[in-house]
Amino acid sequence: MFKDLKLYCKYIKMHILSGLEYKGWWMMCIQTIFIVITDPIAAVLMFSRFGGVGVWTMERILLIYSLAVTSFGLAESFCRGFDYFPWKMIQSGDFDRLLLRPRSLFIQVAGSYFHIHRLPRVLTGICVIIWAVYRLHIPFSILNLTILLLALIGGFLTYTGVFVMTSGIAFFTVKGLDWIYIFTNASYNVTRCPIDYLPKILWGVFTFFMPMFVISYYPAAAICGWGEPLITGFLALPAGIAFLGFSLIIWRIGVRHYKSTGS
Amino acid sequence: MRRTLKAGLSLFRIRAIEGLQYRLAALSGATVSTFWALIEAVILVVFFKYGNNTAGSINGLNLSQGVSYIWLGELMVMLQIPGIDGDLMVKITSGDIGIELCRPLDLYWHWFSRSAAGKVNAFIIRGGMVIACGSALTLFGADHIGFGLPHSPVNFGLFLISVFSAFLFSTAYSMFVTAIRVGVAWGDGPMYLITVAGTVLSGGYLPLQLWPDSMQTFLRIQPFASYLDTPARLYIGSVTLKNGLLMLLLQVAWIAAFVFFGRMIMKHKLKAVVVQGG
Repeated sequence: MFKDLKLYCKYIKMHILSGLEYKGWWMMCIQTIFIVITDPIAAVLMFSRFGGVGVWTMERILLIYSLAVTSFGLAESFCRGFDYFPWKMIQSGDFDRLLLRPRSLFIQVAGSYFHIHRLPRVLTGICVIIWAVYRLHIPFSILNLTILLLALIGGFLTYTGVFVMTSGIAFFTVKGLDWIYIFTNASYNVTRCPIDYLPKILWGVFTFFMPMFVISYYPAAAICGWGEPLITGFLALPAGIAFLGFSLIIWRIGVRHYKSTGS
Repeated sequence: MRRTLKAGLSLFRIRAIEGLQYRLAALSGATVSTFWALIEAVILVVFFKYGNNTAGSINGLNLSQGVSYIWLGELMVMLQIPGIDGDLMVKITSGDIGIELCRPLDLYWHWFSRSAAGKVNAFIIRGGMVIACGSALTLFGADHIGFGLPHSPVNFGLFLISVFSAFLFSTAYSMFVTAIRVGVAWGDGPMYLITVAGTVLSGGYLPLQLWPDSMQTFLRIQPFASYLDTPARLYIGSVTLKNGLLMLLLQVAWIAAFVFFGRMIMKHKLKAVVVQGG
């Protein structure tokens, strides 16, 4: 386990150093910041046009939204390998090489890509979380910080789970995986809708199948006191672990069925 | 010129047929677009109905028009997605551009037709599926989040014309971006930036009528309204016919401008083109 972690850190270091070789690497960061800023522009403009929706102010929605986006950004930064896996490893046959090495497959795939320009999403996300908490006059107590931290870790595991699941399914389908987008970029956009008005089916899918609301809405509700039981705020971590565990089972089945393609 | 046109048309046909083969991928993509449109529609309904400063109609856009606008957005975004055509990108980075220059065709129009063909099948297949889903919702009673009928037959006619110009506009614009990319060693960063800016300003993120009032005049004149806003406004009838015709003219003007500048930049870049690879 410790050896694997060391290997992963080496992978990441290697990717960072090779990324910095490009002259325009900071341009890519600016590009991501631009996307991160334009992403919630629709929500912000809607709030400035319509005011709030009942008790739902812009700060509240942005807190939930940024919790989900930051989790997604963390998974995207540190487990990027799984995101690329179906395209870069299965279709080219490079996966064979990983299977031959006496190290954890998971670590090898997770560390196979790392782009420094994915990190701005995490940084701006954390800034928005702090801004929203401050604007909502919530004290930064130890309890609240713990809840937020657990939410981010749980969210990281959840979105990693989505990537792992995609990779697992890719063993069978190889192509045509666009629909997974529903659980990545589209999923955190669902948080833009106040949860009281959300169709029940969407709420169900993103709470019980993929625990996106468990890692964003419920922790936010717990620290702000929106009338949800306090305990639901702590469910992010267990839910994340459960979802990742489920995805790992699919991944295992996929690896067992792997037939080499490419050369 | 005539030879280029003929070759361009054949290239267009080849690629369009080729693209029709990936039907499963299109289905999977259409699912995402439909899902996306549904979320956007639900959010719009919530804000229109329960918002604190709610209004019946904002800058000539009411709720059902807004929902149709969103569905049209998912259709028209198919024309915008790849900033630069994937094949052309490979040709630039791998050095195949050298071979392309040897062909007795005008490079600009040759690539124009290629990149147009790359867009058309995603538009027809994936976009068609999305619109079918949206219309099905309206048919089966969920008309508050479904795709509605056009305002009038005349509006529908004008809409079809402006969709065609939007198609030409998007090709002219991506050729403009391609022309810049030909000579630049900067990588894809700036290209991506321009593409995203185009999508935001086209109304793809939020109908342009809902943007701040002080920006409305600017939003109507800027080029990216041609992508989505102009066809959508004509379809839902949130613009008078006379103004609609003016918007169509503006679309044509922007197409001409981007073709002109695209050609100029390409000519300039080709004078000092670096062929990479071998």
